[in-house]
Amino acid sequence: MKAYDAIVVGGGHAGVEAAHALAAMGHNTLMISLTLEAIAFLACNPNIGGTGKGHLVKEVDALGGLMGILADKATIQARMLNLGNGPAVHSLRAQVDKALYHRLAKQALESTPNLTVLEGEVTEILCEGGEITGVKTALGETYLAKAVVLCTGVYLDSRIVIGEYSRDSGPSGFQASFRLSESLEKLGIPLMRFKTGTPPRLLASSIDYSKMAPQYGDKGIPTFSFMSDNFNRNDFLCYLTYTNKTTHDIILSNLHRAPIFNGFIEGVGPRYCPSIEAKVVRFKDKDRHQVFIEPEGTDTHEVYAQGLSTSLPYDIQDKMVASVAGLEDAKIMRYGYAIEYDCVDPTALYPTLAIKTVKGLFSAGQANGSSGYEEAAAQGIMAGINAALYLQGREGFVLRRDQAYIGVLIDDLVTKGVDEPYRMMTSRAEYRLHLRQDNADIRLTETGRSLGLVKEDRYKRYLEHKKEIERIEGLLSVSFSPASVKDLFEAKGETPPKSGISAKDFLKRTRLTADDLMAASPDFAGCDLRALKYVETELKYEGYLDKQRREIREEARLEELVIPDGFDYDKVEGLLSEAREKLKKIRPLTVGQASRIYGVTPADITVLIICLKKKSK
Amino acid sequence: MDTIVAESTAPVSVSAIGIVRISGENALEIASRIFSTAELENFINAEPRRMYLGTVTASNLKDKAFCMYCKAPKSYTGEDIVEFHCHGGRVIIRSIIRACIELGARPALPGEFTKRAFINGKLTLDAAEGIADLISARSEAEALQAYRLMSGEIAKKIYENADRLNMALANLEAGLDYPEEILEDTKAAALDIINKVLEELKQVYDSSKKGSLVREGVTVAIAGLPNAGKSSLLNALLKDDRAIVTDIPGTTRDTLYETLEWEGVRINLVDTAGIRESDDPIEKIGVTRAKTAIEGADLVVILKDGSAPETEEERNLEKLYRGKKVIIAQSKSDREKHPRNADIKISSKTGHNIEGLIKLILDKTGAAELSGSAILTRERHIFAVKEAIDALSSAKENFDIAPPDCTAVDIRHACRALAAITGTDVSEDVYDKIFSEFCVGK
Repeated sequence: MKAYDAIVVGGGHAGVEAAHALAAMGHNTLMISLTLEAIAFLACNPNIGGTGKGHLVKEVDALGGLMGILADKATIQARMLNLGNGPAVHSLRAQVDKALYHRLAKQALESTPNLTVLEGEVTEILCEGGEITGVKTALGETYLAKAVVLCTGVYLDSRIVIGEYSRDSGPSGFQASFRLSESLEKLGIPLMRFKTGTPPRLLASSIDYSKMAPQYGDKGIPTFSFMSDNFNRNDFLCYLTYTNKTTHDIILSNLHRAPIFNGFIEGVGPRYCPSIEAKVVRFKDKDRHQVFIEPEGTDTHEVYAQGLSTSLPYDIQDKMVASVAGLEDAKIMRYGYAIEYDCVDPTALYPTLAIKTVKGLFSAGQANGSSGYEEAAAQGIMAGINAALYLQGREGFVLRRDQAYIGVLIDDLVTKGVDEPYRMMTSRAEYRLHLRQDNADIRLTETGRSLGLVKEDRYKRYLEHKKEIERIEGLLSVSFSPASVKDLFEAKGETPPKSGISAKDFLKRTRLTADDLMAASPDFAGCDLRALKYVETELKYEGYLDKQRREIREEARLEELVIPDGFDYDKVEGLLSEAREKLKKIRPLTVGQASRIYGVTPADITVLIICLKKKSK
Repeated sequence: MDTIVAESTAPVSVSAIGIVRISGENALEIASRIFSTAELENFINAEPRRMYLGTVTASNLKDKAFCMYCKAPKSYTGEDIVEFHCHGGRVIIRSIIRACIELGARPALPGEFTKRAFINGKLTLDAAEGIADLISARSEAEALQAYRLMSGEIAKKIYENADRLNMALANLEAGLDYPEEILEDTKAAALDIINKVLEELKQVYDSSKKGSLVREGVTVAIAGLPNAGKSSLLNALLKDDRAIVTDIPGTTRDTLYETLEWEGVRINLVDTAGIRESDDPIEKIGVTRAKTAIEGADLVVILKDGSAPETEEERNLEKLYRGKKVIIAQSKSDREKHPRNADIKISSKTGHNIEGLIKLILDKTGAAELSGSAILTRERHIFAVKEAIDALSSAKENFDIAPPDCTAVDIRHACRALAAITGTDVSEDVYDKIFSEFCVGK
């Protein structure tokens, strides 16, 4: 029997961050993964980031996590999505080298002090008197620990489906975990059955790219990690092609063989990640759908056919692929498949990602009903932090919805529950304007530092960044004479000022940017662009940012009202019965969380506050 | 905290005094915009915890009122509070609340003053228990009322516009979350919807402005010397035999409340004990109540007995009601012997002109234009629509210069405001729309 402080079950994107965070916070940690080849494996699309997701990566990075650093190193093409829209929705997305990403992650874990990486299958969660004592593996070995973090991804009792064929297996032929679900159910943890899918992978050299539109990366865009110095490698292309009427006819005439329509698959799939057969059926009037061909890496000719996700039989996949322009002679290297798996009903979790019914047990990632690498990593780091705090006997760490996308993600999962895999979207964040990529560090680095996760080098760099922002803010009163800016303003379509204009008002103008200011004034010429852009955004959107600040303040007050552990809702007179039942199930940590539960009315909240105040006296 | 407003006396049809309370950081500023007193140049300089006598001006109404300012944290809620102590008429109280809302206050939710008092540590434990019960009882009643409202023409209109607006938001959000996949012009589609919804909501709002008259009804006191025929008129109006009618002066010792509906508008009628100095202790109580009831009414019908000669006492009656809306009605038109200078002549016995009197009441109180129209009647619903209008106006005004993620802030605000009426979960509805309208996701 070997003893550790904490054990992380699973080495995917959640497991990597959880294990790293626990170890970085000083705990002797064991990470057990079914196969070490699957560490940080990008089982689906070969990219990281995108709308909402890019924000999550930035936040994980600001807290001292790994994903941003790894993604930057593995990037082979990057784009900043939404540049035509406001800065809050600018979203970095990088095509990454899949194999390299896995190797970098594995290396990072191998060189993390306090962390042991082990290949093995955890078959049982050990627990005594409602508290975690360790885990048992298939080999029969017992590992002791006071905290366990479940990061089982899509590996619990999973089954892949291609047409009439199915096999009990994890993604990409990796083995699944077949006994752990049962152990979790024995502990009384409610499980759900979800489904997701992938498209076929093709051989690049068999594709006629001349029939497709090349998709270039954006030049000179920032990186995910605050610690990455230069712009990333950006020389690999993606290509855009389309399905057509023939493709759709092939699919429609074979629907009886489509597992998602003939009842062969029962798991709930995500609406935002529909298979091509679902798209064709649901949007009959669309005569074509986009297909992006994306490289899987620098050392392979395998490419990913984004948009063709499917679980149709192999022979239909052959015909379907061949019907697409440029793919006439394409060779399929791996067929698309759907995967069904068990996951934890996230309403069984506290916002700390601790499982309510078993002390010391945490759960993170796709195993909590989310989807996506970034969502997994975000939960992973939070579960790791909270497991560490639990070991230290300290209070749990929860990010509010106005502090981070991570806060929105976890609050949505545990407070509202899910009925399909949950994907982060910028529109889920009601305080989106405050939760930008450009201020992730300002929002979270201090917190990461106080948790012990942000190390010296990052903190020093952060302080310099803050100092630069303050210096720039001190320069904002610098004034320009009307004559000196007349030409620039006119060229940009802005009305030239009649009297002197300050740098502050300069930046507030819609069509003028930080770059313009740097060019127009020697005072600003030497500024750090990242800092100046932050200042610019805060100024330009001041009005809208202020609109939300009051709301944020009020909600923050409700978040401060903590509901004590074991609070008895049956003793609260005046709660409506629906609210009472919901509150008993969700067991919110704060009145703020309680107020977001469906079916809990403002009047219930008032009654609750009164009761809490009475108790506290 | 934002500023909230509500009537803090029980909302019964008639009481002598009504108290409207505003709490929050803008309480004093809002009050100073509608209250003036000879003692101060501007009420913003009011001394805390002192009653000022002055005039409150709300829409077209003016009323004498006392006003008191309590400075945070020395107040019931622990925030800045202003209280208006005004006449108890429904119309004046509603008008004050409405004026406060126009100036940026929000109607308080049930128990919200108490909630704030608690959050700020201002309320004792004893007070807490009873209030919790009261709040839950009220919220159940409110839920029921809200449910009842959810039928009919107005509900349909609100639902339709809320739905459209969620669609506008879905358009913007889909464009933001799926920039590579959505190639149609979702911004233009959103603007079209905003314009349409804004127009419709403005109509609803304008016609609903006076809507609380429909719900609360107008309160009409019937005054006159003993034996002027007040109870008979009441009976005639109600076509019912509920009031005791006798020929002995002073037998109606208590005030009597009755309600009738006229084309959807409620009219609360108050019969009053004959106002007359008396030594009889029971009658004295009746007289006091009558005076009180009259003070709380929106309109007073002064009855003058056309069968008897005018007296000094009768002439003095009108002075009693100076400042009130008054209809002079000459009663007993079937036995007219001493005609008066009246607005209308009626006979309770023959029913002559009774309907005319009702119409006159509706005209004079402004309720006439409301009968039968599709309007919102609940203060919170009206506020919600106003909030939506303000947010949409901002969205529209800045549409060209603001990026869609900023415009979405305003639209979401409007969606949420309307969701307070419809009970729809905006986020879920918007996602449903994104995924059903747009083919997104790879």
